[in-house]
Amino acid sequence: MNSTAATSVSSTLLPLFAILTSSLSTLENTFYKIPGSQVVARYVKSSHQNDPGRTVLELILVLFAIRTLLKSRTRTDRTGKHFISFSEKEIDELVDEWTPEPLAQPLSEWEQHDLSAVSVVQGANGPRPKLVSGKTVLNLASFNFTGLAGNEAIKERAIETLRKYGLGSCGPPGFYGTIDVHMDFERDVADFLGTEAAILYSQGFSTISSVIPAFCKRGDIIVADRGVNFTIQKGIQISRSTVRWYDHNDLKSLEEVLESVEKERKKRRGPLTRRFIVTEGIFEKDGKMVDLPKLIELKLKYKYRLVLDESFSFGTVGRTGRGLTELYNVPASQVDMLVGSIANGLASCGGFCAGSQVVVDHQRINGTSFVFSASMPALLAVSASEGISILRNQPSILTTLQENVRAVHGVLASIVGTLILIPSHSASPIIHITSKPQSHSSLSPTAIPLSVSSSISGKSNPTSIIPSPSSPSYSVAEQIFDADAEERVLQEIVEECLAQGVWVTRAKRLKGQEMVERKPSIRLAISAALTRKEVEKAAGVVKAACVKVLGKRK
Amino acid sequence: MALSPPSPTPSIFKKKSNNSLSPMPSAASYLSAVSQADARARGHGATPTSTPALSLSSSVTSSSEDTVLDESEDNTDGLLHPSKPPTSEQVFTTVHAEFGHCANEEYRYTSKHDPNTALDHVDIDPPYYILLSTYVSYLLLIVIGHMRDFFGKSFRPSSYKHLMPHDGYAPMNSDFDSFYTRRLKLRIDDCFSQPVTGVAGRTIVILNRTTSNYNVTLEFTGNKTRTLNISSYNYLGFAQARGGCADAVEEVIKRYGVATCGTRLDSGTTDLHVAAEALVAKFVGMEDALISSMGFATNSTFIPALVGKGCLVISDEFNHASIRIGVRFSGASVRMFKHNDMGSLETLLREVISQGQPRTHRPWKKILIIVEGLYSMEGTLVNLPGIVALKKKYKFHLFVDEAHSIGAIGPHGRGVCDYFNISPRDIDVLMGTFTKSFGAAGGYVAGNKTLIDALRLRGHSGTYAEAMTLPVLTQIVASMASIMGITPSAAPIKGALTLNPSNSSSTIRASDVLEEYQHPGPAPASALPPWMNLPPHLRDGSEGRSRLRRLAFNSRYLARALKKLGFITYGHPSSPIVPLLIFNPGKLPMFHRMMKDRATPIVVVVVAYPATPLISGRVRFCLSAAHTKEDVDVVLKACDEIGDILDLKHGAGERWPLEEIINRSTELVNQ
Ligand SMILES: Cc1ncc(COP(=O)(O)O)c(C=O)c1O
Repeated sequence: MNSTAATSVSSTLLPLFAILTSSLSTLENTFYKIPGSQVVARYVKSSHQNDPGRTVLELILVLFAIRTLLKSRTRTDRTGKHFISFSEKEIDELVDEWTPEPLAQPLSEWEQHDLSAVSVVQGANGPRPKLVSGKTVLNLASFNFTGLAGNEAIKERAIETLRKYGLGSCGPPGFYGTIDVHMDFERDVADFLGTEAAILYSQGFSTISSVIPAFCKRGDIIVADRGVNFTIQKGIQISRSTVRWYDHNDLKSLEEVLESVEKERKKRRGPLTRRFIVTEGIFEKDGKMVDLPKLIELKLKYKYRLVLDESFSFGTVGRTGRGLTELYNVPASQVDMLVGSIANGLASCGGFCAGSQVVVDHQRINGTSFVFSASMPALLAVSASEGISILRNQPSILTTLQENVRAVHGVLASIVGTLILIPSHSASPIIHITSKPQSHSSLSPTAIPLSVSSSISGKSNPTSIIPSPSSPSYSVAEQIFDADAEERVLQEIVEECLAQGVWVTRAKRLKGQEMVERKPSIRLAISAALTRKEVEKAAGVVKAACVKVLGKRK
Repeated sequence: MALSPPSPTPSIFKKKSNNSLSPMPSAASYLSAVSQADARARGHGATPTSTPALSLSSSVTSSSEDTVLDESEDNTDGLLHPSKPPTSEQVFTTVHAEFGHCANEEYRYTSKHDPNTALDHVDIDPPYYILLSTYVSYLLLIVIGHMRDFFGKSFRPSSYKHLMPHDGYAPMNSDFDSFYTRRLKLRIDDCFSQPVTGVAGRTIVILNRTTSNYNVTLEFTGNKTRTLNISSYNYLGFAQARGGCADAVEEVIKRYGVATCGTRLDSGTTDLHVAAEALVAKFVGMEDALISSMGFATNSTFIPALVGKGCLVISDEFNHASIRIGVRFSGASVRMFKHNDMGSLETLLREVISQGQPRTHRPWKKILIIVEGLYSMEGTLVNLPGIVALKKKYKFHLFVDEAHSIGAIGPHGRGVCDYFNISPRDIDVLMGTFTKSFGAAGGYVAGNKTLIDALRLRGHSGTYAEAMTLPVLTQIVASMASIMGITPSAAPIKGALTLNPSNSSSTIRASDVLEEYQHPGPAPASALPPWMNLPPHLRDGSEGRSRLRRLAFNSRYLARALKKLGFITYGHPSSPIVPLLIFNPGKLPMFHRMMKDRATPIVVVVVAYPATPLISGRVRFCLSAAHTKEDVDVVLKACDEIGDILDLKHGAGERWPLEEIINRSTELVNQ
């Protein structure tokens, strides 16, 4: 029974075998027509006879060699169709003719002024620093939100650490640069926030621009806010992922974009790729605050991972300064990558990313600015740890900070809407002040033209960071301005404040290097180390300066 | 790859036994106490050469100064106290465990260029069987890894869950992307990211780890081991918790605290930043300099302000990741040339200048060549004379990253310009970091005033990155000033030059076309904050000079001696980085573990693919001025023994027995 079945199968398969053998023999014939192929065949045969394993090995080596060959081929451009061959003499002439631009263009007069107008602190920075000009000022410029600068407990711990660890770590974390105090800080911050783990970077600014490309690769999808800060923009740029933008702090727009991305994927039936939402807790650009619970809801619904930059919200909002997650009572573990700044939040230096163990371990190998840079000096990590324990134990600091923020809003309220605009959230410790635009007719001709690629529907194009003027969240006040003129006016206010003993600063920008030009603003940084009286006095000075300078413009 | 060292011969791998109550420790501590008392007595005496201003508590040798493992630590391994007690003439102002005591003036050398030394990087191939076994090892590792993945996915899907799509999420890291990490690196994970405590000085204390699951998790045993540290970038030995620099840092914390609370352009600039930048400019011999709070970010945030679209960056193939990231941030085009190969560079230059930009053939706006002074994986020194000569002809701009070479190279420690006797002004941008030679953190860029002012405003750091903190700035100022020496008053620089006798050596000559290096001289007293009170041996630069010369000796000694022992090493003989080639991936962790398990434990850095080319896995030694000649002897002895066991000695050339090398060390160095 069995054998008959076998024969019947083999008989049906017979034609197939015939075809196979004939095609094999033709293949063989053509192979032997290639000159030299006989030698190769003989070699393979004999070596296979002696040692079958060797064939496999050699095959792999040959493949490897071919791959390397192909790789080195692509390296030179000489074969490209655009290559022009020149004689040596012609090249010499071209070399002689070539005149490169200077490495750096000298500063313009305004830039020079801008640079020389930077105030320099004599000695220690703090709530009431002395500037080198000899003036003691009230500080509404520096990031000393919780007043940890100059804290005696931190100083003491820092000195203790110095005497035990020296200063520099003299090595990257991989090579004997991981000090126990780094691990302590990582545990402290993870514990403080309620995440599984955290990783410490030695500079706050370089943290998120390293976190994003560690996870987001080519082909992945990033959906980002149009208002994200410069370092996020850079991180997105080098991640090479596909980017979709949604309107600044507009979660409806976010949902539309998420929906459209999902539709697109279904249409193309593409594979499942990693998808990320990248945004900030409190925006560096204007102090707006994201609606975290809603954001989490969307992220969970559409199955995205959330990269949240809490550089300005960690250590400044929430009952004890844990940031947005504490403020909105959202478990921090729901934020996949929570990035914070130690420099801003804990008055030391550095940054961290908190998340699950997998997220953190991944960065220990793939976070470029973590892997390829020396670890943080021990005493700075200890200062940061001490900062956390101070925040934990003294919730009154955050209460004071919030009261001071409210006080500033209170003082400025009377000119908001008439002379100035404040886009910042009422709880944000950074308060941006922009001038209220004059009526359209008086706009100077150099104002930014609306060169916006917009769809007629009124929605912004998600592939462009520039919003459509007809989109609901587009505000004329934010988009139309003459940056140069604005900067000069605001600088005048800054200098007027300084003359009155209050230190404020413009939010500085990198002209020509940012993806979108931001409307110039003055950025107040409120500190818990100032008394209510001082804050009100300082805010009063700012108000008077605004009235004096902006009132003149009318 | 071996997961545990084979049963070792007891003579070599004598673990520190806990019951070794040998008379040594007490004898050593007794001697140390005697010498300490001696030193104190001298300190009170009126001898002008002694250093009365030294704060006695912190500067005189004392075992109790070391606060990490002070109790309970014995000295059987010779790490805590010198094996030979100091004579009554010798005063050591450092803690031996941080900065070794070495009084023998013969163990000194001056780091300067000898035109006969080749600068090219040559790959030395080992015998074929080593090459083949290396390839086969990798092949095996890869095949076994894939097999384990294949069966693992079928039989233990739960442990692959995070690598697979789940709940509608794509995996954070696919099984393919993480293959190398999971299947190769994991096997030797105990050699990486070793947590430490205390000062990363001459010795370092490691927190011992064990694993019960083949490195998936590494647990701390709770014990610590003091080891000889030949791995940290502590070239001049400024990683110290005691001494003049640390005292200055303490002073600044007491006075001003830690933070600067802002970016350089809005609210984080202090007078100390301004002073430190002036000092750095003076140190490197440029018009102006600026400081950033992270070395990595110095490259990644300032390169984009130099070049952009329409510009070309020509980069050495072994350049550091921070440079690559900076170039990617900038949007400029990049081409690479073969490591330190001037021929390849010139060919490339001729091609890119004549071809212009791709497709349009418009001329490049600028061409910036970025090279490193000293390459951290190869130990090669840049061929600066060659590049500067090319620069004259091809008009490109030149950026030199001196992260490893500043402080570590050159008769005055001023980096590769000093070393090759080339004027720094021949180079457009000098970049460097403070994490290495200065025992601090952060980096600098130096150049002409126009350039630096432009970078202040247009580099990303000035606008957005936090300013450097005050303790770090102080460490930089103090260590840098002590390398330079400080002019007592506003004395003219020419007169002050006599402070540096090594400068007068007329043998330093670059080729005639190149501008001579003008030694920028000592630091003006005005560069230091008035409250900074450095002890006299730092102020007069004598200690700085001795550090430079000790580092130069140690570097040359180890490099030459390893060659004489028969090892294959890479790099320039003056380089404080000495890579020793191991090749086989299995031998790397073996070497690491065997060094760590010796009677005098030594911690080393092993690097393999992808940080190096596939076959050239290596161990990398970083020498320090803090090492004594005896420390280098210890390393040599360890290498000699382990090299025999692991079959690592495949170098060509004359070989000397270890004894001879140790006895004729000065001859070897001065050859
Ligand atoms: C050539 C080079 N540049 C820059 C850096 C980064 O410096 P840092 O460790 O201070 O961030 C390094 C450090 O390893 C380096 O080797």
